Amino acid sequence: MIYLYAITDRPERPIPAEPGLEGAPLINLVCRDIAAVASHLTMVKVPPAEANLWRHEAVVEALMVDRTVLPARFGTVFTDEAAIQGTLAVHYAEFEADLKRVCGRVELGLRVLWDDNDNQPLDANHKKRLNGQRPAISGRAYLLSRLEEERQAQAQRQRAKALAKKLHTLLTQLATQSTWQVLVTPRLLLTAAYLVERERVTSFQRKVEALSTIFPELHFLCTGPWPPYSFVTAGIAMIPSEDMENARSQP
Amino acid sequence: MSQLVAREKEVTLLDLLDRILNKGVILWGDVTISVADVDLIYLGLKVLLSSVETAERMRKAKAQSSMQNMPCNI
Repeated sequence: MIYLYAITDRPERPIPAEPGLEGAPLINLVCRDIAAVASHLTMVKVPPAEANLWRHEAVVEALMVDRTVLPARFGTVFTDEAAIQGTLAVHYAEFEADLKRVCGRVELGLRVLWDDNDNQPLDANHKKRLNGQRPAISGRAYLLSRLEEERQAQAQRQRAKALAKKLHTLLTQLATQSTWQVLVTPRLLLTAAYLVERERVTSFQRKVEALSTIFPELHFLCTGPWPPYSFVTAGIAMIPSEDMENARSQP
Repeated sequence: MSQLVAREKEVTLLDLLDRILNKGVILWGDVTISVADVDLIYLGLKVLLSSVETAERMRKAKAQSSMQNMPCNI
């Protein structure tokens, strides 16, 4: 079996001495001007244990020191080198386009938490009101109470969206691409990823620090630089079997 | 290990999981990690997110002064 870590440009560069999974040496499988970096594996499946996840990440980060990488999703295993080379040939144009788009850029992650005391009063109030009115609460009163709760929740969601958008807009000025989600959980105001030029990473981090001063009621968690996991578009959920067969039959 | 270091590791691991299991180049290898396993772990992220939030709430006072030590794996 063979495990795939990433697709890269600059296949002529020597691959790093970083060990792969099971301590196996890395190998470079070249297709024109791109390469797949992989290592041989005795396991059929790789358990998603923390050590294995970090090993995958360590290899990808070692590669991104001197080349552009498209990190593979954890656990992508092929039967042999020919299968990977076939995949490189089939998806060459997508890989090449993605590599050009993320070249010289890294990903920064951001999570912004907001204060639960200010923004999570609804459940507590709701319970208090219900407890206070029991057992005399009528069906009508209950429904009115729920309606009011819903109105407050909606207003809160709108406040969250407006605030998250404001923060996100300020940060996208330093990024070439971004993704964002509001209220993934009630206290996670903003979950975002930014594709940033390497030379702008420090500016981005300073901007986050500045925002944390401007918004002391929020807590900012910035991680990275990461390989551009969130900005890869190449690859597919499933390769039709005839395509795979065609790819493998190519010289 | 200080609480702050533990928190940073937790948050960074969460970010790693969020990326490595759900993003990046998705190819259908001849044998891929069982999708069910990955999905199971990914569902578990919701729980992990909550645990991060709880940790945040409990350590808020400390966290407010920790911006200079943001959890960056640079």
